[in-house]
Amino acid sequence: MDGQGEDASKVIHVKFVTKLDSPFKAPVTSVVIPSNVTRLGLSSIVNSLLTLEKHEAFDFLIDGELIRMSLEQFLLAKGISAERTLEIEYIRAVAPRKEEKPSLHDDWVSAVDGSSPRFVLTGCYDGLGRIWSSPGSCTHILEGHTGAISSIAFANSEGAEGVTVATASKDRTLRLFKVGTDESGDSTARVGAYKILRGHKASVTTVAAQKYGSKVCSGSWDCTINLWDTNESTSELSVPGKKRKGNNQAEESQLEGEADTTLIGHTQCVSSVVWPELDVIYSCSWDHSVRRWDVETGKDTLNLFSGKALNTVDVGGEGSALVAAGGSDPILRVWDPRKPGTSAPVFQFASHSSWISACKWHKSSWFHLLSASYDGKIMLWDLRTAWPLSIIDTHKDKVLCADWWKGDSVVSGGADSNLRVSTGISI
Amino acid sequence: MTKKKSQAANEDQTIETNKKSVSPALKPQKEKPVVAKQVKSSKEEEDLLLDSDSGADSDYDGDSLSGSLNSDDFDSDIFDSEDDASQRETEGGDGEASEDELHGHEGSDDDEVDSENGEEEDGSDDEGSEEREVAEESDSSEDEVAPRNTVGDVPLEWYKDEKHIGYDITGKKITKKEKQDKLDSFLATMDDSKNWRKIYDEYNDEEVELTKEESKLIRRMLKGEAPHADFDPYAPYVDWFKWDDAIHPLSSAPEPKRRFIPSKWEAKKVVKYVRAIRKGLIKFDKPEEEPNVYLLWGDDSTSDQKSKHLTYIPPPKLKLPGSVTYLFICFSSRIPFSEVFNLYNLAFPGHEESYNPSLEYIPTEEEIAAYELMFEEDRPKFIPKRFTSLRSIPAYENALKELFARCLDLYLCPRVRKKRINIDPESLKPKLPSRKDLRPYPNSCYLEYKGHTGAVTSLSPDCSGQWIASGSADGSVRIWEVETGRCLKVWQFKEPVKCVAWNPLPDFPILAVAMGQDLVILNTELGTDEEQQKIEELLRLGSLPELDESAAAIVSWHQDETFGGIKIRHFKNVSFVDWHPRGDYLSAVMSAGETRGVVIHQLSVHKTQRLPIKMRGLPVCTLFHPHHRGMFIIATKKNVRVFNLQKKELPIKKLETGLREISSMAIHPGGDNLIVGSKEGKMCWFDMDLSSKPYKTLKNHPKDITNVAFHRSYPLFASCSEDSTAYVFHGKVYSDLNENPLIVPLEILRGHSTSSSNRGVLDCKFHPRQPWLFTAGADSVIKLYCH
Repeated sequence: MDGQGEDASKVIHVKFVTKLDSPFKAPVTSVVIPSNVTRLGLSSIVNSLLTLEKHEAFDFLIDGELIRMSLEQFLLAKGISAERTLEIEYIRAVAPRKEEKPSLHDDWVSAVDGSSPRFVLTGCYDGLGRIWSSPGSCTHILEGHTGAISSIAFANSEGAEGVTVATASKDRTLRLFKVGTDESGDSTARVGAYKILRGHKASVTTVAAQKYGSKVCSGSWDCTINLWDTNESTSELSVPGKKRKGNNQAEESQLEGEADTTLIGHTQCVSSVVWPELDVIYSCSWDHSVRRWDVETGKDTLNLFSGKALNTVDVGGEGSALVAAGGSDPILRVWDPRKPGTSAPVFQFASHSSWISACKWHKSSWFHLLSASYDGKIMLWDLRTAWPLSIIDTHKDKVLCADWWKGDSVVSGGADSNLRVSTGISI
Repeated sequence: MTKKKSQAANEDQTIETNKKSVSPALKPQKEKPVVAKQVKSSKEEEDLLLDSDSGADSDYDGDSLSGSLNSDDFDSDIFDSEDDASQRETEGGDGEASEDELHGHEGSDDDEVDSENGEEEDGSDDEGSEEREVAEESDSSEDEVAPRNTVGDVPLEWYKDEKHIGYDITGKKITKKEKQDKLDSFLATMDDSKNWRKIYDEYNDEEVELTKEESKLIRRMLKGEAPHADFDPYAPYVDWFKWDDAIHPLSSAPEPKRRFIPSKWEAKKVVKYVRAIRKGLIKFDKPEEEPNVYLLWGDDSTSDQKSKHLTYIPPPKLKLPGSVTYLFICFSSRIPFSEVFNLYNLAFPGHEESYNPSLEYIPTEEEIAAYELMFEEDRPKFIPKRFTSLRSIPAYENALKELFARCLDLYLCPRVRKKRINIDPESLKPKLPSRKDLRPYPNSCYLEYKGHTGAVTSLSPDCSGQWIASGSADGSVRIWEVETGRCLKVWQFKEPVKCVAWNPLPDFPILAVAMGQDLVILNTELGTDEEQQKIEELLRLGSLPELDESAAAIVSWHQDETFGGIKIRHFKNVSFVDWHPRGDYLSAVMSAGETRGVVIHQLSVHKTQRLPIKMRGLPVCTLFHPHHRGMFIIATKKNVRVFNLQKKELPIKKLETGLREISSMAIHPGGDNLIVGSKEGKMCWFDMDLSSKPYKTLKNHPKDITNVAFHRSYPLFASCSEDSTAYVFHGKVYSDLNENPLIVPLEILRGHSTSSSNRGVLDCKFHPRQPWLFTAGADSVIKLYCH
């Protein structure tokens, strides 16, 4: 960092600013730095300014763009003058700081849901759903499916005494489970479904629950999206979770449900659905389209065409309006349906080397999303740069599912039968 | 308003007329100009009334000018015409009176005019006003013209048979008026007293009533006078440029004398010429002599010959003209030697070419002998010789030879111009669309299905595209989930699997597997519960129906205990299985000749039929036509035959492949196009409606083609080969029968191991709904290529 005589001509006056809180707040002074420093150099400069006892990685923004090359190149590429004092904003680098112990399953982990901070749900090819309170500790096993579970979701994660979980399976059914949350102890409870939803004619691929509602929707290989009611239709058959726990063979006490509504429009397998608002469902399909459905009318109000078979879709970002979808090619695409007159993606992220199996927006950040791919990698993305923020490649095989958890962790499952949790991601 | 004024003026005029008419015959000789003036003045007045402040008189048309030229008040006419108006009106009054007289005169000439005149003479006072009104109307009508024909100066008979006579200025047709009956028109003419004034205007298809002025104009023209009355051919000469009494003449110098006396020099010159002519020095009109000799062998490529002929071919050029030729040229064209030498760009002869050169130029005996030994072309062209006098010079020895050669050249020269076309070889290439425009097509491998331990021999995707079944040489049949690459089910058999085929019905997920002598129908247990029940019922062999004797000799049906399916045992190894698109029949191919090579099983009744057809050669593969129920296509090693099973006759069609050994075959979903792969690496595309010969033969693979495949919905087809590659082609079949299928090679898919012991890629199949291709490698891996 010591300025050499020959570098004296290539120095830049910079000022580091941040929105971070006190331990990471650097004094606002102008600093002279050589122009050829990279992110690492900038990070070490900020660390030396902060005098932290522990080294902290930072990411740097100039005019809302992340620096991914040397400062000199960046300024040249963006055409920013180096004459004036440059204002560089720094944020904590988005990268997992810790890798939790993997939680081994009996078979491929096909689905994961981390929308509740209390639990992680996983669906497995052995037909069992699992609830994990923390990495390594499985509290419940959800059983009953005769085929592999393809998707799992919290139907109601806010319940006082228990949560409701919906699972979709390749045996053409969905099951709803009620799980008490006050379970304690080491033993793993086995839970049976309180309601079986039949109606799909082929494998169910995906399930999503209405936020603050009592409905779930599911997509299937029969090209339809079905909406189901999660309510126990009559009170006499509702059995509290505790009682049912010991009685999990009691199949006869299960309710059967039929689809409320069927949304027809896709011409091929519906591979993923999300239900971000009360009456709006987004779905993607192998017919290369992403559609937005109005639940009230059952019509699709938006149809984005991508050109590739899509495996996964998620809605989030700015105003919860950006649609991210990935599929049968290594490119993660982000559309902005609010943009009039065009259906071209606004962002394309192409660092994966195989199909994308999952993509999720961060719940609170406008910029961050993750994608999982069959190349065994999970990548964290920021809309402000085209390079991945960090790559999690702990999986040995295909990653089949991934999700954010607690806002600062990434949970993922894959063909290596492990649920992996990467924590300490500061956003 | 204008009318009122003009009427007022009329009243004035009539009063004045009354005054003046007392002495009508005072100025008979002034008749014409006066009349003209009268007309002019009425016109002019009107103009003044219309736009009195514009002073538009200055650009008034010619007749007013010509009229004004002979009038004395030329200036006032233009500049203060308003003041003059009254004055002229008095003159007009004069004219009026004399005009009547004129009518009276002419009445004797023309009968018709006579009757008319009688009337006119009665109300001669009103006549003036009426005339003005007419003039006024005719003027103003120019602004609101009725549709005028715009056809221009074309013969009107062009429109004789049309309903219209032409077009108005907006381009609309002007329709003809209906022709009146002749009698009616005659009666009309008889009734109408003004009929004599009416003229039919052919050009605008309307009747025009001539005004008095116009009739006068015509009359004048008939007489051969100037049409305008105010034109005076005998106007007094006005010498505008008289300068006699001008204050400043151009030059005041007196005329020089020389202007008035004849030139001496000219006289001398004339005398000189006259003498020269007398002496004959100057000759007139000597015809130019054409030279009767011309340069026969000259280079006339620049001559006017070219311009005379369209395709002029110049004579061949002289190769090496001998000296005789030069002499010839010199003598025949009477051109000096030096010019000929210049013409042919030759060097002048040196001393050695003289008839009597110095001794040092003469070669010695040895040199001549050496020349004789030399190669003919190396020999010097000219060997100096010595003659004592010019008389002793012999004739040129090669004269005849050279002349003959020249004549031959001329005689044999080509009479036709050869046209050499410069063709860019690139332009001869067929114009294929760019690959980018033909997307999507599979091009990159993202998924691999691993699990087999032997070469994967056969693939079959289920019709929804969710699963794919594969058979391997290790004896296992596996079902994979396409999306994730997970192996869902494994059946292990003892013999290597030759062929797997998924039932084409979506609600009937069963597999036909060929291995060894057996054909096994497997239940994949992927259907719904009801479907599952149906399948189980179907696969339960109850009491078997009696087979025909002929069939019983070949096949036997058994229940497969291990996997709960049906096992059909054949008398020979089964190599190929294909389902009928309806999912009930399936054909099995054995390596046996004649009628026993192909059998067709019916699953619903557990029956087997032999083909009623005799075949030459061993069958390789079979196909059911996708639409025609009874159409059945069998490929033997050399040929492809199309049969109709319902008619049980000779083949409908025989396709001559020209291939040595057919290995595989696939049919376009439209049913009219067929591709055949062969073991020499060639693939033939047959348009079965077009001909029995291949529409196109593609030679891409250096090694055997193992399989070919068509996509169900996308215009794609593929071939895979033992060279470990698969080729993807664009193959668009148009619904327009006139258009040939478009075949474009798109992509070479590599990826399978290419080690020499391997047999490359053994099978390829398209995903039924996506533009994806599965390839089964001998390296025990299945690959999925996506777009």
